[in-house]
Amino acid sequence: MTGRLTDQARRVLDLAKEEADRLGQRYLGPEHLLLGMLRDGTSAAAGVLRAHGVELEAARAELGRLALRGAVATPRPSDADLLSALGIDLDAVRQRTEQTFGPHAVQQATREATRARRRGIGRVPRTPLQGPPLLIGRTLQFAGSEADALGHRMIGPELLLVGVLDDSSKPWPRCMSNRWRRRLLAHVGLPTGYRGAARPLLAAFEVNLNELRDALVVRGVSR
Amino acid sequence: MNETMQGEVTAVAAATGSKDPEVALAAVAALRGLVEVLEALNVEHARAEGWSWEAIATRLGVTKQAVHKKYAGRRFRLGRSPR
Repeated sequence: MTGRLTDQARRVLDLAKEEADRLGQRYLGPEHLLLGMLRDGTSAAAGVLRAHGVELEAARAELGRLALRGAVATPRPSDADLLSALGIDLDAVRQRTEQTFGPHAVQQATREATRARRRGIGRVPRTPLQGPPLLIGRTLQFAGSEADALGHRMIGPELLLVGVLDDSSKPWPRCMSNRWRRRLLAHVGLPTGYRGAARPLLAAFEVNLNELRDALVVRGVSR
Repeated sequence: MNETMQGEVTAVAAATGSKDPEVALAAVAALRGLVEVLEALNVEHARAEGWSWEAIATRLGVTKQAVHKKYAGRRFRLGRSPR
């Protein structure tokens, strides 16, 4: 899923995870990518965001407000915190199972335990042994097609921003909402209609998505 | 604001011993997620060691049909044989 990202885009992704964690949101959405870009700060993507008045601290606060409005998940304890309250040390469990069976086997078992199945008994949508779910598939898809159109192999923060903007402005096909996705959204505390919250986040700064997109074209990172 | 938010989150979690359903139920969900992975790992390992479905089912406290239905179609290979 993230194979085409440059090192800097990967750093943005890591910072985005930290930001989500900070807000107590147990998933990673396009809105967190924006925070990650601002945290990283050195890319043209961050420059364009700042030039349109989107600053890190204000964006964090705004995402907190969106949570109160119910657009994104309200803060909730991490799995590690929840389990430690039951007296279970998640890190110790992970370490021991990986020691016994090997990290690869644990990964495989995790995939098996969480895989969507057409029939049969419903499995768990997530396990604490995984990181937060990455709800940025469509963002990466749009970033990827933009990269293809430009003839780039790799996706940097700028194309990531293009992905976020295209994802927020293009309509979602009906097939993107299925039982599995709804269950995952519920699991992390998101409303069923969640389609990423980059749009309301940017709207709070009175940023026009098209203008932002044009600014990227001017800088030569997009068509 | 974010630090206090984080602090609250941790504080809420620490209170799970209490009866707040909000946190207690989330803890149960996390626990279930952990159990599913551990079960899949150990069933697969037992099969690799040559255990029968019946023997596995007995230890798990379910019928052999139940464990077979759940795992037979979803075999995967363990990364390395544990020694």
